[in-house]
Amino acid sequence: MSNLNLNTEEPLIMHIDLNSAFATIEQQSRPSLRGKPMGVTNRISKNCCVIAASYQAKRLGVKVGMPLSEVKAIIPDFIILESDPAKYHYIYQKLASIMKKYSPDIKMKSIDEGIIDFHSTRNNINNKPLEIIGYEIKKTIKQEIGSVVTVNIGIGPNQFLAKVAASLNKPDGMDIINHRNLINIYKTLKLTDLPGIANHYEARLNASNIYSPIEFLNASSDTLKKMVFNSVIGEDWYYRLRGYEMDNVQTKLGQVGRQWVLNKPTNQNDLLNSALQYLCQTTGKKLRYQNVDARGVLVWLNFTGGESWYQRKMHKTAFFSDYDIYRRALFLLNQRPIGATVQAMGITCYGLSRTSRHQISLFDEVNKTDRLTTAVDIINENYGVFKILSANSLIGDKLIKQKIPFGGTEYFKLLISSS
Amino acid sequence: MEPIYINKPIEVAATFDYKNPISVCLPLKIKYQNKTITLTELGLRHPTKKGSRAIHVFDMSDGTNDYRLEFDSETLIWRLIYITNFNYHE
Repeated sequence: MSNLNLNTEEPLIMHIDLNSAFATIEQQSRPSLRGKPMGVTNRISKNCCVIAASYQAKRLGVKVGMPLSEVKAIIPDFIILESDPAKYHYIYQKLASIMKKYSPDIKMKSIDEGIIDFHSTRNNINNKPLEIIGYEIKKTIKQEIGSVVTVNIGIGPNQFLAKVAASLNKPDGMDIINHRNLINIYKTLKLTDLPGIANHYEARLNASNIYSPIEFLNASSDTLKKMVFNSVIGEDWYYRLRGYEMDNVQTKLGQVGRQWVLNKPTNQNDLLNSALQYLCQTTGKKLRYQNVDARGVLVWLNFTGGESWYQRKMHKTAFFSDYDIYRRALFLLNQRPIGATVQAMGITCYGLSRTSRHQISLFDEVNKTDRLTTAVDIINENYGVFKILSANSLIGDKLIKQKIPFGGTEYFKLLISSS
Repeated sequence: MEPIYINKPIEVAATFDYKNPISVCLPLKIKYQNKTITLTELGLRHPTKKGSRAIHVFDMSDGTNDYRLEFDSETLIWRLIYITNFNYHE
């Protein structure tokens, strides 16, 4: 074992994962849903997908991402509900506040999962075993949130192994991975059971004759770096698999955007322009929420035939207002192939820098734009998001619904105010 | 059963107990269509906003149907938003 250079440190990272979060929260809030195969989608339509399914539905074969029509073929009585962001945000805040009672060093990884790092608080919790703390947290969640909501807890020496541990016995599980049981646990897993290894990475590993987590662990750092991943990522994996922390990195905000999948694909100019302006308004809101200005705009489209198109442009001056984003995005959209039917569209602002709006500009036009944008933002904040919006984006406002973010939670407060 | 949307002000009898870990405020009975309904379970309470107004949303059950109630903290008015029962869904 010593040849493998495993991290022998006491496991002090706890990963907490709400089980089937949105579905369980709905079952918690509406008792008549309990024990039933049900799921949640963003907007109920003929082509919608299940974004969360209850355990009763999962047992009958329902998977996240399945189209509703497929699910109904398996379970005709399947109940589908539209997502309720305010409710999920409340649970997210409750979960974070329960976690903060144990350590100030917590990190919410997404809406339904977070990490507690006990390194800085180990001496202040009477050296209570982390397993006991885990059961305490489970009990507190039941008392403060509700009896139906359950969590999986994983404890490990790094974030990666804590997440692996949290996925071992679902639902309501609690597992610890340390250097003593690491190999035995890897023996029970497939490559794709490891967080971060999906089909693409699996294929790369298979191409280098690595077919299991144990073979992955036994591969040398050089093999992973030079042959499998062709980058420093391979070295990161070498240490990550052994329990060393490789994921404690702060990511810098690189781009901000918004996308929309059309219910009914179209090539109508009016509708696409209105939707684009609406997407620009939500993107502008995100930019200002993050206190950044952008210099680049990218517009992309997916067509019904399966083809895609994009156009982008980097500008000399930074911008932050909805209209400035729209003006630049519309210029790009007008360059799309004529007549093609659009299935999905999106806009991304990049080239981000800290906003300079606190500095009065030499140009009065810029100051006017700033004052107008600030006034509209304040009114919308007080009376509900998009109480004031561009008349051209009214169609977009009716058609485009806010989605639940699966990744980061940086826009959650903004999302709640617009839900 | 699809939710029956009502969205009307209603009379509510509620307790306020600062020691209750799940919800300080708990609706116990509501009067709807001249009938008194006793609420037996709080599914979930969560706060939300309508503009700058704080609204408290209560998902309640009487053991058969689920009820969504909203309490406007500015006007102090309760509204019954919808009634639903997934035991009878088509």
